Amino acid sequence: MMKHKALLGTSAAVALSVALAACGGANSTSATASSGPAQKGGTLTILDSETTITGLDPALSWSLATTSSGLLFRRLTTWKVGPTGTPKVVPDLATSDGTPSDGGRVWTYHLKSGIYFSNGQPITSYDFKYGIERTYASALSGGLNYQKPLIADTASYTGPFSGKQLSSIQTPDKSTIIFHLNKPYGDWPWVVSTTSMAPVPAGNAPAATFGKQPVTSGPYAVQSYSPGNSLVLVRNKHWSAASDPNRTAGPSKIVFQLNQDPTVEAQTLISDGPSAQDAFGADFVPPAQLAQVENNPSAKSRLVTSPASPLEYLAVNVQSPKLKNLKAREALDYAVNRQAVVLASGGTLAAQPATTLITPGIAGRVPYDLYPAGSTGNPAKARSLLAQAGVHNLTLTLATMNDPISTAISQAVQEAYKKAGINVVIKSLDQNAFTALVTGNSASGYDLALSSWQPDFPSAMDNIEPLFASSMIGNGNYNISRLADSHVDALINQAEGTISQTAANALWAQADKAIVGAAAVVPLIYNKNSFLRGSSVQNFYIGTFPAYPIYTAVSLRK
Amino acid sequence: MRHTRTARFLITKLGGMIAVLLLVSLATYLIFYMIPADPARFECGKICSPGTLRQVRAFMGLNEPVWRQYLSFLGAIFAGRTYGSGPSAIVCPAPCLGYSFQQHETVMSLIGQTLPVTASIAVGAAVLWLAAGVAAGVVSALRRGRALDRGVMTVAIVGVSAPAYLVGLLAILLFGFKLNILPDSGYVPLLQNPAQWAFHLILPWCTLAFISAAIYARLTRSQMLDALGEDYVRTARAKGLRERRVIGRHALRNVMIPVVTLFGLDVGTLLGGAVITEKVFSMYGLGALLIGAVQSTDLSTISGVTLLAAVFVVVANFIVDVVYKLLDPRVTA
Repeated sequence: MMKHKALLGTSAAVALSVALAACGGANSTSATASSGPAQKGGTLTILDSETTITGLDPALSWSLATTSSGLLFRRLTTWKVGPTGTPKVVPDLATSDGTPSDGGRVWTYHLKSGIYFSNGQPITSYDFKYGIERTYASALSGGLNYQKPLIADTASYTGPFSGKQLSSIQTPDKSTIIFHLNKPYGDWPWVVSTTSMAPVPAGNAPAATFGKQPVTSGPYAVQSYSPGNSLVLVRNKHWSAASDPNRTAGPSKIVFQLNQDPTVEAQTLISDGPSAQDAFGADFVPPAQLAQVENNPSAKSRLVTSPASPLEYLAVNVQSPKLKNLKAREALDYAVNRQAVVLASGGTLAAQPATTLITPGIAGRVPYDLYPAGSTGNPAKARSLLAQAGVHNLTLTLATMNDPISTAISQAVQEAYKKAGINVVIKSLDQNAFTALVTGNSASGYDLALSSWQPDFPSAMDNIEPLFASSMIGNGNYNISRLADSHVDALINQAEGTISQTAANALWAQADKAIVGAAAVVPLIYNKNSFLRGSSVQNFYIGTFPAYPIYTAVSLRK
Repeated sequence: MRHTRTARFLITKLGGMIAVLLLVSLATYLIFYMIPADPARFECGKICSPGTLRQVRAFMGLNEPVWRQYLSFLGAIFAGRTYGSGPSAIVCPAPCLGYSFQQHETVMSLIGQTLPVTASIAVGAAVLWLAAGVAAGVVSALRRGRALDRGVMTVAIVGVSAPAYLVGLLAILLFGFKLNILPDSGYVPLLQNPAQWAFHLILPWCTLAFISAAIYARLTRSQMLDALGEDYVRTARAKGLRERRVIGRHALRNVMIPVVTLFGLDVGTLLGGAVITEKVFSMYGLGALLIGAVQSTDLSTISGVTLLAAVFVVVANFIVDVVYKLLDPRVTA
């Protein structure tokens, strides 16, 4: 998930680190707060800077399984995320995580009984098939599409609206669904947990209008939606708690107050007035308010900060003529001053140094540091490597977004590289221009790019494949290092085709090291996100993944 | 003869208005296409294959040459437009200002949702700032050099200098959080609850009025001081007219000519979106819509809202010209 909030339908990116400056050295972090048995009832308010919510149609949503869309849409599987421990994939509307056959090319799911949409209609396998087929329509292409390159025989398919169906998704009866993939894929149980795999009533979910008043499968239904003002969710009377151990569905009603100014939002929650006590903020707490919270014991007790997780990294454009030499690229790893980068991003409350691609909290992560250079870097070693490479007067263009934190980090990188004799020219761009430059088909225009990434589901695959597989270069995809390495590709393919998660994780760890070993990336920091809640909000916690509150667990104290 | 002159005046103005609107829409399109971003990419989703990207680009009509896209945009205003074909096609009925693929709504529908918010802010604030600004300027001019004059002008300087964002935040902190007597955010539609509509708009109105009234106070004061030294004012006084009549009937009428010009342009601009005020007070008006569209490279919304904002400014200019003519009969086409 490249720099975007875990909000229902948020396709626009918000720099992860924008709101995380200041307060260096503070130690008030907590990933969990005010826990207790989930009480039922009350109206929970979620203050949110987003103005519109496109993810009310699951085909278009980028939301994570445990945030907003988890309140509305169930899928075959979902995530079990507690305040501690590694997240796990668990059955949601299916009876299991999936049964693989044909070496992982075919996955079979059976549905639970007694499951209904918010309109009272039973949920069947046909609804799942239809929901997935919709994502192939041009009008509904904007969501998470992990399934698209995997499901077999979809080359010319354009959705179910003209009556055509995918033969690679079979529904032998109303409670069985079988997926035929074009290659073995061990992470399929994670893929079917994404929002775009949610069921919608078959034949009754028009592309243009379904998202305005969606039929839901989760514990809540949409009562009203007014763009820029509010989204009001009420209980889905047809949701069965017995079939859903993963959502507590505490509040009777949930009101998203949209279009909030993040500063006003934070002030509202700090003041904890009567209207704010049953509320929490969906936005990161801005730097000035983080400083304010430090001096306010009440607000400090209501601040929740995630463990370090999303990766901020320097993509090294290996297709740049200046960076063809491995030793020259290795010099970039040795020269970087991570202590300065942590400070630039807001101090230890906001970040911690990173040396791996698989982020903390994701199963399979093996900590390592291939370029040990201390916390402030080793410019002498970098100079030596550049000399060995025969590279002199190296001047590199660093593309970055023009938000304050990205700019500060870029300047910290520039300063550190200067000590190693590398001249860095910062190319500061707005988000759209930055994305177009680094994800476009041309490799020219930048040598380095500052970016960040949080996976869309907690699998090591999503830390590696979208960022470093050769198939993800250009066309708007995120291999912005433009690494096309046959060894890395082979490891990725092997890991993807491995059904045993333990064996796959070992392969992902190898791929992690191989990519960093190719010096195609300089891991900089793992970011931390801070959020505020009102004093009556309970079970407001952030697990090891994702770095956002678990909306599906939040309840209110009576 | 007089009717002919008026008709010529109106035709000239209307022709100018249409030319300006065409230029604005064309400039918006051309500027947009110079931005290195691909709107189809945003609609292709995450994990986007070249084939899907091509399909999406064709669906959005972005595979056509720029000039044809522009003509399609203009044509849709009168004839409507359909994106795609078959059962999943998206229909945008006339007058169609485009379809927002980011928000999955027609731009007309988005404008319909946001314009009442902006209009509520703009009209209320404009009435307040015009009344307060002109009154303060007149009083200040009549008490020139005295404590009242200095006090009013000091407040005016503060108003002119203060950024809207800061004034809005301070107002929220004071009246919303500290005194807890006014709502700090949100919009209630007029037809839903008129009292709550006004109650929620008090802070935005006052914020905008505080900033803008200052300019009007300073302008009115200087114009009034000039007018008070004019021969016709001396003549009016010499004729024995009451001071109230001299000021209100003779001096103020001339003072209002530049004030009306400024007011028309300000209101027209504000109707195009009170960006900062809408953001601070969490109100989803045209300004917030436009900013969101710019951030997400939503060409249809940018073009539609820009065109509408231009319409407001152009129409405001036209009304100013007409009022000008009423205030000063010497003005001709």
